[in-house]
Amino acid sequence: MISALRGLILFVLAMLGQWWWNTHFSYWGAAPQFLLALTVLIAARRGPVAGMLIGFGWGLYLDVARAELFGASALVLTLAAYFVGVARRQIDLRAVGPLAATTFLFTYAAFLGHGLLGLVFTKSFESPGWMPLLLTPVLNAVAVTVAAVVWDARGER
Amino acid sequence: MQRETRIANFVLGALSALSLLLLSLPLSTPVRSFKAATGYLLDPLAYHGEAGYARLAGAPERTRRLLQADIENEALRAELRQGQWVKTTVEALSLENERLRRSLALKAPGSRSPAWAHVMERDPVHWYRSLVVDAGADRGVSLNDPVLGPRGGQLVAVGRVVDVREKTAIVLLLTDEGASVASYLSSGTLEGLVQGQDGPRLRMNYLNAEVQLSTGDSAYTSPTSATFPPDVLIGRVARVNPRDPFLTFQSVEIEPAADASSLQELMILRAKAPEGEAKPPAYVPPPAPQHAAAPEPAPAEVAVSTAAAKPRRRKAAPVETPAAPAPALDPEAAR
Repeated sequence: MISALRGLILFVLAMLGQWWWNTHFSYWGAAPQFLLALTVLIAARRGPVAGMLIGFGWGLYLDVARAELFGASALVLTLAAYFVGVARRQIDLRAVGPLAATTFLFTYAAFLGHGLLGLVFTKSFESPGWMPLLLTPVLNAVAVTVAAVVWDARGER
Repeated sequence: MQRETRIANFVLGALSALSLLLLSLPLSTPVRSFKAATGYLLDPLAYHGEAGYARLAGAPERTRRLLQADIENEALRAELRQGQWVKTTVEALSLENERLRRSLALKAPGSRSPAWAHVMERDPVHWYRSLVVDAGADRGVSLNDPVLGPRGGQLVAVGRVVDVREKTAIVLLLTDEGASVASYLSSGTLEGLVQGQDGPRLRMNYLNAEVQLSTGDSAYTSPTSATFPPDVLIGRVARVNPRDPFLTFQSVEIEPAADASSLQELMILRAKAPEGEAKPPAYVPPPAPQHAAAPEPAPAEVAVSTAAAKPRRRKAAPVETPAAPAPALDPEAAR
């Protein structure tokens, strides 16, 4: 019960942190995608199922703010969690370095996924812009590193 | 592991199908309803988050304004204190101005040269004995100069100078036990000697034993007084003492016209003004008090008064003032 409540609080706090940073600290559209980074982290530490369920919820939250492509972020985060679950069978994602590298790559994958979904459903490739393309993967890698350090420091499995 | 993979695949399929459904039918009623429900659940997060952020973001500005308000508050408090001090000063000056205006309208009796002086100090132990004024030898004040005080538009007897210093002088009040002045009562020709009792009241002795006395009479300085000019109000009879069969005279208690505790400025009637000071103006006869005949001389007034003076620095013979009619002085010249 306490664990579920704590999970719910973290779920809400993560969305709040994403909104807060994106709204007030975004630099030319470049801001860390906390929800993607945390989805990767959860999928790496708790398995793909937990990652997909949580990522889907967070994706819906991201989609609510969009005018089009409702469900795109949910699908992208679900797929990200699934493929992290696949990747962790081959790579030791408990280490911070591989985790950061995976997040870095998955950020580009997410950009690509959003672009393709836009291309399929709205006939236009959604480009994030140069600044997010350059900075956001790095920021996500940093964010997942910090989150992993905190996770490990708290003794979470 | 296989089970986890199967579950993962199943969850992936379900969530992907749901996502694709949402993406494929964005205008369908179920999708729009789902989106509305999701927005209803999650939008408050951003709304309240923004409100909270606005509060937090405004905190430094509000803190700055609070500090600024505190600084301004301190400055205004200091200004207010300064203003209160200024107000108090203005009120004091206004009162002094009023007193001086009233005093300037008074007529100084006698042919002497009047000089106004402020009360500097009172004897803290013997309130009714003496006080110190800020006029001394430098302003021509001399020993035994009579001192008058303003009261209700006229000058009344207060005391006399018993010690003269360079810039100050000590005035022995009539209420001092050693002070006395020859006087008469306004209701008749009765002469007596008003003496201090070291208290708020005076005592008038040596009144004719055969005469009926009553309270309310006014006591004035007698023309026979060696110190005071004649017809200066001393006070009013407050009580007639019971007759003593062993004494040949009556006595009454006098309520002094001058309240020693409220005196601020005094008029010293100097024997002569110092050189360079304006001389008293022309004589104007004052309204004479009601007494029918010439008063009888008071016994031993001069001796008592000079003995009681006890000058502290230098002794001088009491100044004998002529019992001439009192001239009125121009207040401006008096100053």
